[in-house]
Amino acid sequence: MSDSLLTTTDLSISYGAVKAVHGSNLKVKEGEVVALLGPNGAGKSSTLRAIVGLIKSRGSVNFAGEDITGAPTEHIVSMGLSLVPEGRRLFPNLTVRENLLLGAPRKAKTDDLFDDLLQRLPILRERLNQVSGTLSGGEQQQVAIARALMSRPKLLLIDEPSLGLAPTLVDAVYQLLADLRKTGLAMIIVEQEVMRVLKFADRAYAMSAGEIALEGRAADLLVSDEIKKVYLGGA
Amino acid sequence: MDSLISYVVNLISLGGTYALLALGLAVIFSVLGLINFAHGELMTLTGYVLLAGILTGQPFWLAVLVAIIAGGISAVLMEFAAFRPVRNASGATLLMTSFAVSMLLQVLFQNGISPRGQAVPVPPWLTTSLSIGNSQISKVQIMSIVVGLLALVALKFFFDRSYWGWAIRAAADDFEIVGLMGVKASRLISFAFLLSGLLAGVAGVLWVIQRGSVDPLMGFKPVLAAFIVAVIGGLGSLTGAVVGGFILSAIEIALQTWLPASVMPYRDAITYTIVVIILSIFPNGIFGKRDQEKV
Repeated sequence: MSDSLLTTTDLSISYGAVKAVHGSNLKVKEGEVVALLGPNGAGKSSTLRAIVGLIKSRGSVNFAGEDITGAPTEHIVSMGLSLVPEGRRLFPNLTVRENLLLGAPRKAKTDDLFDDLLQRLPILRERLNQVSGTLSGGEQQQVAIARALMSRPKLLLIDEPSLGLAPTLVDAVYQLLADLRKTGLAMIIVEQEVMRVLKFADRAYAMSAGEIALEGRAADLLVSDEIKKVYLGGA
Repeated sequence: MDSLISYVVNLISLGGTYALLALGLAVIFSVLGLINFAHGELMTLTGYVLLAGILTGQPFWLAVLVAIIAGGISAVLMEFAAFRPVRNASGATLLMTSFAVSMLLQVLFQNGISPRGQAVPVPPWLTTSLSIGNSQISKVQIMSIVVGLLALVALKFFFDRSYWGWAIRAAADDFEIVGLMGVKASRLISFAFLLSGLLAGVAGVLWVIQRGSVDPLMGFKPVLAAFIVAVIGGLGSLTGAVVGGFILSAIEIALQTWLPASVMPYRDAITYTIVVIILSIFPNGIFGKRDQEKV
């Protein structure tokens, strides 16, 4: 418990009568990168959304030593949790600059962070005053990640970073994530590209029909027969 | 030429007021998905506060300032008392609530003040006119143009430069994600109502000064026009609210200026026919989103 940054205990999520997630137990340590795998509808995105308080859940969520179950999203974000939502969800009518600055707390001094992010993502510097709805998918993903970093999170939740991106752009996104990992940032990555994320992550959970079916070191899962069966067509 | 000058003057003065009102509606729609039909009663309330200020001998500028601030504060209280308890209810419930608030305020004005219109004495310097060419332009109109345009410029700065301005624009795009940015939803909603109420206040003062009177049902017509403006511009679009304001004003004033007297009784019918034609070309309004879920 002591070195655990995030712990969910018996986390359950329902949409009306439909149970999306039942009783999931996740753990993320400081600086750890955790992959969350599973087919569509397995409850991965719901899990991330519940952790940041966007949807109601039962069970408990503990972050950085505090019980954040049922806490309002803005409080959870202020504690150092940040979500890059599925489909980026940038504000399309706001410029890149405005999207980024809105990601920071209202009175926070963020000049250094802002400069640091632009250094990491030089393409954004040219796009700062462009409305984000006109960016390409890869650029939007970079802005979405950068925006989530503006609140200086300790744990970044990323929902499908490679979704809809060409392979070279996926490389760029993972390069960015690799850089961020060196800064000690912990992450949970929900990803359909299983092989890619298993090569990147420290540990992984595989969800199926709302439950955690499998967990372990990413390197072990990479060679596990069960993963191969589910994701690589039984090879 | 003269009729053109007076056309342009009328267009800008009415369009500015419509734009301010429609912006007030759009701001609330952005954060709650609600068309607040009680917005008109905020205008009326502003009118009564202005009247009270003038009747109690306050300087005109102070009466105006207090009236506008009263609009803003009343809007915040309105949200707190009426809309907060049903915040997560359906769009239809919110809409019904706004009608209820609207009716309630009208009845309060009727029974508490008077069902009749009250004359609002404006200072003499405002009642004179200026001559441009052969056309007479009243100072009230000039003031309403100046104030309307200044307010729009100030809003532009607010929306482009301030954190809360970004947050309201962002809410128009995607309200859920604004919370993910660490913005407290209830604070954002209160802020939106404050802004909306101040806009109703400015529009209300301009409206009352132009009419020279205030009555309990005064707010209905302008808020209906503002609703149409917001729909023309695209519900929830802030740019659309401004553009729509000037479009509706251009149509109304053109018909009023150039329609033959024999057809004049059909003026509103013609106005709405043109609006329907515009909407058949832009079904979601000119700046509307393609996939509009909010009601």
